[in-house]
Order: sequence, then structure tokens, then C-alpha cells
Amino acid sequence: MPEHVSISPLTRIEGHLAIHTDVARTADNGWRVTAARCEGEMFRGFEAILRGRDPLDAQQITQRICGVCPISHGLASVMAQEAAYGIEPSPNGRLAQNLILAANYIQSHIVHFYHLAALDFVDITAVLAYTGKDRTLQELKTWVQTSIDRKDLFPAAPFLPRYDGAYATDVEANCRLIGSYAEAFAMRRLAHEMAAVFGAKLPHSTALVPGGCTQPVTGERILAYRSRLDRLRRFCETVYLPDVLAVAGLFPDGWRQGRGQANFLSFGVFREENDQPWIPAGAVIDGRWQQLDIAAITEDATCARFAGDHPEHPADSHTTVAADKPGAYSWVKAPRYRGHPMEVGPLARMMVALAAPGPNRITSALQPVLNAHGISADQLNSTLGRHLVRPLETLWLIERAAAWLDALRPGSPPARDFALPAHATGVGLTEAPRGALGHWLRIADHRIATYQCVVPTTWNCSPRDGAGRPGPVEHALVGTRIADPDNPLEAARVVRAFDPCLACAVH
Amino acid sequence: MGEDETMETTASLSRRDFLGLGATLAAALALPARFGPWLSEGLENLARQKTKVLWIQGQACSGCSVSLLNSENPGPVRLVTELISLQYHSTLGAAQGADCVRIIDQVGRLDDYILVCEGSIPTTVRSACMIAGKTLYERLEPLVKQARYVLALGSCAAFGGIPAAEGNPTGAVGVGEFMRLVGARRRGRLVNAPLCPSHPKSIVGTLVHLAGPGYPDVDPELFTPLMFYRHSTHDRCPRYHDYARKVFASHFGDDHGCLFKLGCLGPLTRTQCPSRQWNGGVNWCIRAAAPCIGCASPDFARRRDFPFYRKGENHHAVDYDDHDRGGANDATP
Repeated sequence: MPEHVSISPLTRIEGHLAIHTDVARTADNGWRVTAARCEGEMFRGFEAILRGRDPLDAQQITQRICGVCPISHGLASVMAQEAAYGIEPSPNGRLAQNLILAANYIQSHIVHFYHLAALDFVDITAVLAYTGKDRTLQELKTWVQTSIDRKDLFPAAPFLPRYDGAYATDVEANCRLIGSYAEAFAMRRLAHEMAAVFGAKLPHSTALVPGGCTQPVTGERILAYRSRLDRLRRFCETVYLPDVLAVAGLFPDGWRQGRGQANFLSFGVFREENDQPWIPAGAVIDGRWQQLDIAAITEDATCARFAGDHPEHPADSHTTVAADKPGAYSWVKAPRYRGHPMEVGPLARMMVALAAPGPNRITSALQPVLNAHGISADQLNSTLGRHLVRPLETLWLIERAAAWLDALRPGSPPARDFALPAHATGVGLTEAPRGALGHWLRIADHRIATYQCVVPTTWNCSPRDGAGRPGPVEHALVGTRIADPDNPLEAARVVRAFDPCLACAVH
Repeated sequence: MGEDETMETTASLSRRDFLGLGATLAAALALPARFGPWLSEGLENLARQKTKVLWIQGQACSGCSVSLLNSENPGPVRLVTELISLQYHSTLGAAQGADCVRIIDQVGRLDDYILVCEGSIPTTVRSACMIAGKTLYERLEPLVKQARYVLALGSCAAFGGIPAAEGNPTGAVGVGEFMRLVGARRRGRLVNAPLCPSHPKSIVGTLVHLAGPGYPDVDPELFTPLMFYRHSTHDRCPRYHDYARKVFASHFGDDHGCLFKLGCLGPLTRTQCPSRQWNGGVNWCIRAAAPCIGCASPDFARRRDFPFYRKGENHHAVDYDDHDRGGANDATP
């Protein structure tokens, strides 16, 4: 009789994560999660490595925190530096920064649904029953069959073995999703090409700099971006969003799983002309919207493998390794906002926008979709809700990116020059695809004196804090029904819907 | 919904198909035509599961895995299904929990597999990278001794990279240094494929070479395959003429001239970036007027006082020696 169920490692996320849960028997012969722990299992020490370096190094070094969302780190660093240097990017530079980030959002959301999450829902072996004429599916069918016939050590690896469980049963639905999985590889690559049009290369853009970007704006560059954007729009409209809705239709339980604490935080993202973010900043606590106040952010290391047991503001906090500290179970710190654990990410961005006073673009675009599919805004706080908001955000972003492209002025400077101060401080707040991201920079004698990053998955996968409050993923797991403790597929679905990025969380 | 129309044929590949694939790959990698049949053999050995691939992530950002997915000809679907016999990959594979350990242990005992490592390895704070309750150090030690070949992907795995940069709080090292520490033979087994991230063509090209013709010619100190890391970026730079005429860009976003005075590290960095470029040839650093930051170099990001960029006002705070940057005599290392 197991009382603990673990997923160690929890794969198909970025990085090293283990989930440990306590479970209890249910009346219907299943199990229910009663408590959960999120363990971040990797640490590199970026903040220590940045100390003493030239501040201009920071946007290159911090991009290497994460190969999935490097642009968000690069941009947070660039924004912190722009604040420290007292400059704003040139008009082209601001637009190009948005366009590089938009392309990375699109690729990140596509990767998350298809290549990370979909294998929790789709039965890859259904391809063996495929009888249609699609060449990719025929090839996959032959490959899986050959691998089984040949008695390979692990047939159809890396798609098998997997947890047993309730995958989709309909052959046609499965094959459609498997076909999309294959097509999504090409689509995410296209999105990376689009990011490289202004970003030089991906992952890890070298063109992103304080003041804008180094890539001059030309008609040829605009066309290179636009043609790919049009192709991605078609994919997202005709494949991505319909696929997510299809999965929602096949797994209606997902609307009731993974309910979070309903506290949401967004730093706002995609700076426009008036320096206002296109997706708004704010916080929602107990259903009530409030203006973002970065002074309310603290980091607590009580259960993290670092020295310290009281909350500190990121600008003053330190990262000193204490690997064997009693009671510590994760390399992730516990950030809190006015003391509350906060969910961040696409769902949080949408919930903050919905709760914000006055009309905004997100609300007016979201409500018709919810009405059309009979979903309430409150139901979005769930595993399926987290999946559904990503294609929606992607589609709105594609629309907006087309407008940013139109606003580019070929020949105008892509970057604004600047002077480097000996002493300065700056904060860069943005949103990574996975949620709120902040970089805090202090320069002394031309060098980085302190650098602190508070990262989306630090919020979502945070451990307990000094008051014993669990982090958002730990909370969302509680109540999850698990049919078979040896195959805790249901718990994995809850965690993966948050799109954890552990390399980011523990940088 | 096929992905790379030029190359994707049928799943039950024939000998002739492999010959065609080998020739295409040799062309894509800008290798001499004689490499074609060799690479065909490598592709076939991988596809027939004679050579398996075990992919382990350490202190990594997953950027090299993401970069693999940017591969074209062959594209990612064919790569992760038929072509490279990928037994385990923690970002792409379906396996989770106990299955992961089972796969790593079982494949790890075989004789003929290629171990791909992404990311560095913490050697002092060993708990700074754990896989299923064991340290990466413990998991990797038998694998680097047992594997037929060890491919260290990206600059972190090759040389330690940013985790091993000055300040290095976890004692992070590259795979080569790790193999030395645990007494694993490197000569004829270790191949480093640096760059941050590694280039998809280096990843695929090196894997296929290892599975076919075998161990490539490598730099004796750096273990980098000479077919991909022979020439400096500066030597083949499209802005080389500006350098020769002493026309230099003066600030970020200035597209006119050589980027050396902004800090470009092309003279110290051996890559194929000028010919391959990035992301399907859409762009690359120098073309985008972005100085090379030396991300393939063994010293990438290593020293605090050796910044990526040169920007006038802070010259007194940092060591800006032209000779250090390989510029004094137009030297290539």
C-alpha cells in the first residue's frame, strides 16, 4: 500500500525536477494526492558568476540560463541595463526587440503543447492502425512496426516506454494529433528562423543589445519575418488551437484538475510606444486586481539549499550555497508577493488582464472564445485552462506582431548608443512565455556588483516558505486523483500544464 | 505534412536510400564527396539500432537540444525517430520516473552506444545536479567509461562553459575534464562539439561520423573534429575586407565595417559559422552586425576581466589588450 508517489525525474519539461506526493485511498479504489513537494534538482550559480563582470556581458550570460526562453532573459537584462544607463531603445530597436521576443513566444508555446505535453494525452501506438495516405504518418507507422518486429531493446524509443494510463482511444483523433506533432517540429523551427531574422541566431541571440538590436532594418528582413509569420498564423488557426480544443474535448476531467490558489501575477510584456506593456502588468489576490508593486516581492530560502531563513527583497538578497541545510529540499527559492505564493504564466497574464479595471484588448478577445466553447473564466484555473490560453495568446501575438512589422522604418537606426556609467542600478521586468521575469542589476566601479533574477518557474515550482505555505504547483497537485500509483500520469499532467523550466528556476 | 520535402522519403529505408542520404548530408555539411558513402554507413548503423544514442543532460539550459530540433536535411522528425536511435532524452522522450533509470541503466551496460552529454558536471557541490535521487557525477561515471564514444555537445559539456566561468560555485567541469577525473580513456573516444548552443549540423554530422567511419580527426588538445572546427571565424568573415582596409563599426547597430573594435572575438574562435550561418541560413551574428562573442572557444565567458564587448568608457575597468583578442598581428590561433 503506497503512501507516497513520486515522479523522479519528471521529464518533458526543461531541466531537472522531481515531484514527491503523499496519497490517500479514495472510496472508488483510486488514490488522491494529499500533499506534494516540488524539488528543483540543478543549480549553476549565475548570480555569483555575473558578479565582477562587465555589465554588457549580462544579456549574453543570462540568456544561457535557458535555451528555451533565452530572449526573455536577454530582454530583462537589456531592460535593466537600459534603466541603469538612462536610455530608451530607438523606435526600430523597441519594435525589433518585441518581434524577436514574439517569435520566441510562438516557438515556446508550440513546443510546450506538442513536444512536451501532448505525449500525456496522445497514444503514439495508435499510428500502427493508421490506414490513410499521409506520408509522415505512414513513415512513422513503418518505423514503429519495424522497431517492434526487430525486438529492439526499447521499441519505438524515445516514445516508449511511457506510463500506462488513459490515453486517447480514438485512432483518428490520435493520428491527427501525431501528424500535428510532426508538423509542429517544422513550425517551431520556422518560429526560430523568424526570431533570427532580427536576433542573428537562436537559441541565444547575439543581436539583442541595450538600446535595441544590432540588426539593421531592411525591407528584405521585414519580408523574411512576415512570410514566416503568415505561415505560422495558418498553422495556429487551423491546427494548434483546434488540436488543443480537441484534447480538451477528449479529457473533460482536465477542467477540474490542477486548480491553483487563484493568486496571479504579471509583470507586463511587449513595450509599446508610450512604454506601456501590450499585455498588462498587475496582481490578482483573492479575486481582486491590484497594481503591480515590485517592493512587495520577497524571496524566502527556508526550504531551499541556500543560506537564509527570512524573506528578502531581490535587490538585497544573496545566493549562498548551503547544499545540506536541514529541511531544505529544493534548489528553487520561494518568491512571494505580499507574502502570497503567486501563479505566473499565460494563465496569470490573462487572469490579470481580465481582472484589471477598464476595457483591454485581452478581455475583448477572450470573452467571445469562452462564450463559443461554453467555458467560464473561472474554469480556466485548471490543467486544460492552462493549455487553452497558450494558443489563444499565440494567435493574438501573431496579430500584434504583424502591426509591429508595419511600424518598422527601414534605414532608421536599430539601436540607440549610450554611455556606460560607473555606478548605477536598474530593474528589468518582463514576461517570459512561462511568466513573470525580473532582473535586478547594481553596477559599481563599472562592474556588476550584484545581479538577481526572479524567474517564472521560481514562482510556480517554489517550495514551502517560512510560514509553511506550499508553492503554486505543490498546491495545484493536492486533490489530484491517481488511478495507479505506479503510473501517476494524472499528476504529471497537472505539473506539465504549468510548463516548468527548471534551468530558469534555479539559475 | 512532411517536414523536409527534399530528404524525407519512406520509412523502410533501402541501402540506396542511405547512400542518397549520406551524399545529401555530406553536401549539407560542406564535406568532400568521399564522405558520402561513409556517412551512409553511419546513418544505416544508427537507423538499424546497431549504434544507440543515450542523451544525458547535466548543468544545461537545453539549448543544444533545442538546436538539434532546428536541424534540416534531415529534419527533427526523422532524426528522433528513425535516424539516431535515441534511447533516452529527458526533454523529448515519453519516459518519466522509474522508467528513465531503467533505460539509462540498461543502455548504459551495452557495448556499442554513443553517450551524448549536454551541460557541465558539478564536482564540488555534487548535489547541484541530481537525476532520480543520485548525483549526475555518480550516474555519469560508469557511462563515460563504458560508452563506445562520448560526444560533449555545446560549450558547457565541452569546456565547462558559463557554469565553469570564474566564480564557479559548484565546481562545474566539462565532460573531458570529468573523464580525466574519473580515469576514463579520452583518446579515440571523446569528441567535443562546442558552440553555444552547438550547431545542428555539428551535432548530426558528428553523430553520423561516429556511427559510420568512426572517430574523426580531432584537435589533439581540444578534441574538436577538425572537419568542423578548423578555421577561425575571422579568416572566413564576410567583413574581412573591411578589417583589411581598417574600416570599423563604431557602435551597436552600425552596419558599416569590421566589428573588431566592438569586441568581436572572431579571430579567436574556430567555427563554420560564416559558411553555415544559423537557423537555416536566415542570419548569423556577423551578418546581423553582432560581434562574435567567442561561444565556441575553450575560454568562452571564462574570465571576469575579459568582456564580450569593447565599449569606450569602461576601458579602464577591463583588460582591453588587442593582443589578447587576437588582433595584434591578424593572428589566427
